[in-house]
Amino acid sequence: MSVVFALATPPAKSAICVFRVSGHGCLDKIKQITGCELKRARTFYLRSFLDAGGGVIDNVGVVFFKGPNSYTGEDSFEVYAHGSLGVMSLIVDVFKGLGFDEAPPGEFTKRAFLNNKISLNEAEAVVDIIDSSSRESVYLSSKSLSGTFTDLVVGFSKKIDFLRMGVEGEIDFSDEGEDFLDGALVGGLKKIVVDFSLFVDGCVNKKHYSSKNKVLFVGPVNSGKSSVFNRLLGFERALVSSVAGTTRDLVESELFYSDASFSLLDSAGIRETDDLIESRGISIALEQIEGADVVVGIFDSFDKNVLNKFSKLTKGKKYLTVYNKLDLGPPNQEVFDCLVSAKTGEGFGELKNKLASFFKVFDRSDYSFLVRDRHISLFNSSLKCLKDALLKIEEGGGLELVAEDLRLARGFLDEVVGVKTSDSLLGDIFSNFCIGK
Amino acid sequence: MDKFDVIVVGGGHAGVEAAHAVSRAGMVCALITFDKTKIGQMSCNPAIGGLGKSHIVREIDAMGGIMPLATDMSGIQYRTLNTRKGDAVQALRVQCDRKLYKEAIQKIIKQTDIYLIEAEVTDLIIDKSFVKGVIANGKEVKAKKTILTTGTFLNGLMYTGSEVTKGGRVGDDSAIPLSKKLYDLKLPMGRLKTGTPARITMSSLNLSVMEEQPGEKPTPFMSLTNQAQEHQKQMPCYITRTNKNTHKIISENTHLSAMYSGNISGIGPRYCPSIEDKVFKFSSKDSHQIFIEPEGIGIDLIYPNGISTSLPKKAQQEFIRSIEGMENAEITEYGYAVEYDFIDPRTNKKTLETTFLKDFYLAGQINGTTGYEEAAAQGLVAGINATLSIQNKDPFILNRDEAYIGVLIDDLTTHGITEPYRMFTSRAEHRLLLSQNNAEQRLLTKAYNLNLIKKERYQNYLKREEAYKNFVKNTLEKTKIKTFLNKNNDTVTLEEKRSLYSILTRPDVEENKLIKIQEDEKVFFKRASVEIKYKGYIDKQLREINKNKKQNNKKIPSSIDYKNISGLSNEVVEKLTQSNPETIGSAAKIEGVTPAAINLILINIKKLELQKINA
Ligand SMILES: Cc1cc2nc3c(=O)[nH]c(=O)nc-3n(C[C@H](O)[C@H](O)[C@H](O)COP(=O)(O)OP(=O)(O)OC[C@H]3O[C@@H](n4cnc5c(N)ncnc54)[C@H](O)[C@@H]3O)c2cc1C
Ligand SMILES: Nc1nc2c(ncn2[C@@H]2O[C@H](COP(=O)(O)OP(=O)(O)OP(=O)(O)O)[C@@H](O)[C@H]2O)c(=O)[nH]1
Ligand SMILES: [Mg+2]
Repeated sequence: MSVVFALATPPAKSAICVFRVSGHGCLDKIKQITGCELKRARTFYLRSFLDAGGGVIDNVGVVFFKGPNSYTGEDSFEVYAHGSLGVMSLIVDVFKGLGFDEAPPGEFTKRAFLNNKISLNEAEAVVDIIDSSSRESVYLSSKSLSGTFTDLVVGFSKKIDFLRMGVEGEIDFSDEGEDFLDGALVGGLKKIVVDFSLFVDGCVNKKHYSSKNKVLFVGPVNSGKSSVFNRLLGFERALVSSVAGTTRDLVESELFYSDASFSLLDSAGIRETDDLIESRGISIALEQIEGADVVVGIFDSFDKNVLNKFSKLTKGKKYLTVYNKLDLGPPNQEVFDCLVSAKTGEGFGELKNKLASFFKVFDRSDYSFLVRDRHISLFNSSLKCLKDALLKIEEGGGLELVAEDLRLARGFLDEVVGVKTSDSLLGDIFSNFCIGK
Repeated sequence: MDKFDVIVVGGGHAGVEAAHAVSRAGMVCALITFDKTKIGQMSCNPAIGGLGKSHIVREIDAMGGIMPLATDMSGIQYRTLNTRKGDAVQALRVQCDRKLYKEAIQKIIKQTDIYLIEAEVTDLIIDKSFVKGVIANGKEVKAKKTILTTGTFLNGLMYTGSEVTKGGRVGDDSAIPLSKKLYDLKLPMGRLKTGTPARITMSSLNLSVMEEQPGEKPTPFMSLTNQAQEHQKQMPCYITRTNKNTHKIISENTHLSAMYSGNISGIGPRYCPSIEDKVFKFSSKDSHQIFIEPEGIGIDLIYPNGISTSLPKKAQQEFIRSIEGMENAEITEYGYAVEYDFIDPRTNKKTLETTFLKDFYLAGQINGTTGYEEAAAQGLVAGINATLSIQNKDPFILNRDEAYIGVLIDDLTTHGITEPYRMFTSRAEHRLLLSQNNAEQRLLTKAYNLNLIKKERYQNYLKREEAYKNFVKNTLEKTKIKTFLNKNNDTVTLEEKRSLYSILTRPDVEENKLIKIQEDEKVFFKRASVEIKYKGYIDKQLREINKNKKQNNKKIPSSIDYKNISGLSNEVVEKLTQSNPETIGSAAKIEGVTPAAINLILINIKKLELQKINA
């Protein structure tokens, strides 16, 4: 089977991250990655991790396992690197450059099962993973990359199919006296390349935010949102002051807890205000509710009207109400999900658990991040093929090579929009052109 | 002879190729067919090759088959299609003399020890689930293996307007008892249809107003084996067109066409529409091209390619006479549609042995294909596999990346058909690997190991390959130059001397003016420049193929029940159940089957294997 890799630790900033690589022939590449040979299996080596040009990306730990004595039963190795997102993405690039594939969910366990390393019971669990992952990936993709994500990709694949119809028609039915391309190939291709590039760029930008679970803090001014935010992070990220209306911009930071990664967003307290900048901050906060996965309301007193107002604002979102400043005394009504004190740290264990529980679906593994990353890399590969096709036409290369680039470009979208069989492609040709003697 | 090794039923293109393959491999074969004089008959248009099809013929050639030989013995016009595109999608099309083609096939068959039996096969001899032979003209004929290649003859019905005639081809019988027998066996069968145009005397046409289409010069050969042989006298084809008046006549009569009157239930090929179809569906076009193809040397008959029809005779005559140059056309035989039975090819294994009866193979149009080449390829595969099975050897299966024949068989047996199946190059995802010019490189070693070609041919081939390697090494890699001419005829000067090999990788170089190549090395040069141009793409494809090779070749046990695999969608379960793919690779090709679904299947296969061990 091919060589696959996956990030075994969550795709969030952390002390270290671990990559697993498995598959026949992967050990031969260690030398390329680290610049030297490793002698003994199951031994921890400290080495430099090199990029394709030989530059050092990070100092890492490497351990290799000789099949069948490994988790998957295949030759495999693990890389322990520093857990910054930058390092992770560079390592991913190197692996891809070596021809490794990103492992789909459950791949390692599947291989372990196929190589007799784990029992049927464990394998059944993998079936569940694969099963849920396919459901989840649909959920994730449609959610994270805007609601129309799938529609957009389907749209692009249809455009590619349309070009393929012309090109394949021109190849297979060249003596039919039909003009399949109608001079529209180059124009059509250019347009797709431009539109698709914009789309992929958009995905990459969105991914930055949407790859994590977004937790938005809202609440009345001065209720202690920034204080709770800082306490959760463990350091002073947001400015805290006794002046109401301190936080005006959105403040974002990452938190990693119990297998899940969050992106915490502190926002401006909500109140009626004449201050232009502050009111802009408030409207940003309200907009953010739209894109948040979970909204946490922070209150420092019980006021039925205020609570109602907030629950209305967050309609439809997962919503957690938190009473802060517990050290000053409990609320006079037991309506809050959580009671904390940002000052003493009381109640934060429970708050974190409650937050993590919202993300149960995601906490199993890496794919909330990787599935999306996989999509983007598929799009990029597809885009590259479209550009190659354009180049081929400009160079005057054969139409069969243009056809091949288009076929490959379309193939990369299969995973998102499904396979287009040659038969249905031919069907399109027959219904659009008058073919046949 | 009380028992043959193999019986082949049907003397069409599938039948003769099957019988010949069996006899090449040294087995005793009987060929049973209605009429000996019609062996090798071209039912429709007298041409071999064309896009996707010449690829198949060259593969048959590399396997030692007879279609390419007969083609060259009867070819009267050769044309390479797609010359402005690259090597992989170029195709040779040969217009044949219908009579000479048939005679050539019959001559080749007579040179073998194949037993020819002129009879109608009406029944199969079945013992439990094994086919032991057939009943021909009421007598038992027994064999270890039986191959059925009955073409369009199973319950064949021909339609012209409201007239219906029994027969699989004009002037021939219809195989009705055998069809009934197969229906009684409750096989998954269906009806398909196809059509053919009227035949017209050449002398009645005014060819001078038509565009003449001469053959290619120098005239190439279809078969790579007998290059020294002489060609038949070459003849041109002609091109004319339908016009508004033609379309008006057709429109007025469409309701009388057999195809439109609702008499025919069979599904016709969309790429071979009748002229009434073309006029109806593409009403915005007011003219369609017609190729006037001579039926043969000294035969006063042409085949008007492009106006296949099942209109009533009167309407046929009227619309044909409205076409430029055909005003006085004398019709000798009217066009008709033919409807016939086929058996769902998904019930076949990749050896073309059926799963419902053992020692029983189906090949050719009976499997839902159309075209001589597709039929011949299947005959070859069935013949080889019947032989191998008798010899207790591993089956012969070509992969999709090895041959168009592999694509054909895989498509048929895993996806089945929705209309008569014809090969197109776009069906082959590894098209760039499968040129009509590299069939020997792909298949000759296999053919030699299967005893299908003579040792001498194989040794010559090995010598040629060696010479080619030397040419690349000694001429292309060692010769270094600094300047060359580009496609605009400008001189390009390089910074330093580069090898011819590396210069050929450039898209702008004018290959024909790069160096002076000796006549006998021209083929090598052309081949090298193609290989260099494709290298990047082919490497990519090979990587892809090798990546999944082991997984793709993994057999799916027939005991698998897709319904029991949790996680597969109902739609995918249904498709997989219908297709019943033999391997993971085939399963992955089915529309809607995702990589995740493949993983689920793999895990379940393993589960079945474990259960077997534990049981
Ligand atoms: C009217 C018509 C139009 C066509 N149009 C096209 C076209 O436009 N394009 C295209 O590519 N192809 C066309 N074809 C198809 C092409 O002719 C076939 O695909 C090809 O000939 C199939 O080869 P085969 O060997 O499977 O069968 P056939 O060539 O049909 O041979 C069948 C043989 O079996 C024999 N036989 C059948 N039943 C029995 C029996 N019970 N006992 C003994 N012998 C039997 C017959 O005598 C015959 O020799 C057309 C065919 C017809 C008839
Ligand atoms: N006693 C006590 N004081 C707190 C607690 N949390 C916050 N405070 C105080 O409350 C005041 C406001 O805190 P911030 O965290 O700035 O409140 P905020 O909700 O972010 O305010 P704005 O950004 O202005 O809307 C500060 O003076 C904090 O010191 C707590 O748990 N206990
Ligand atoms: Mg604040």
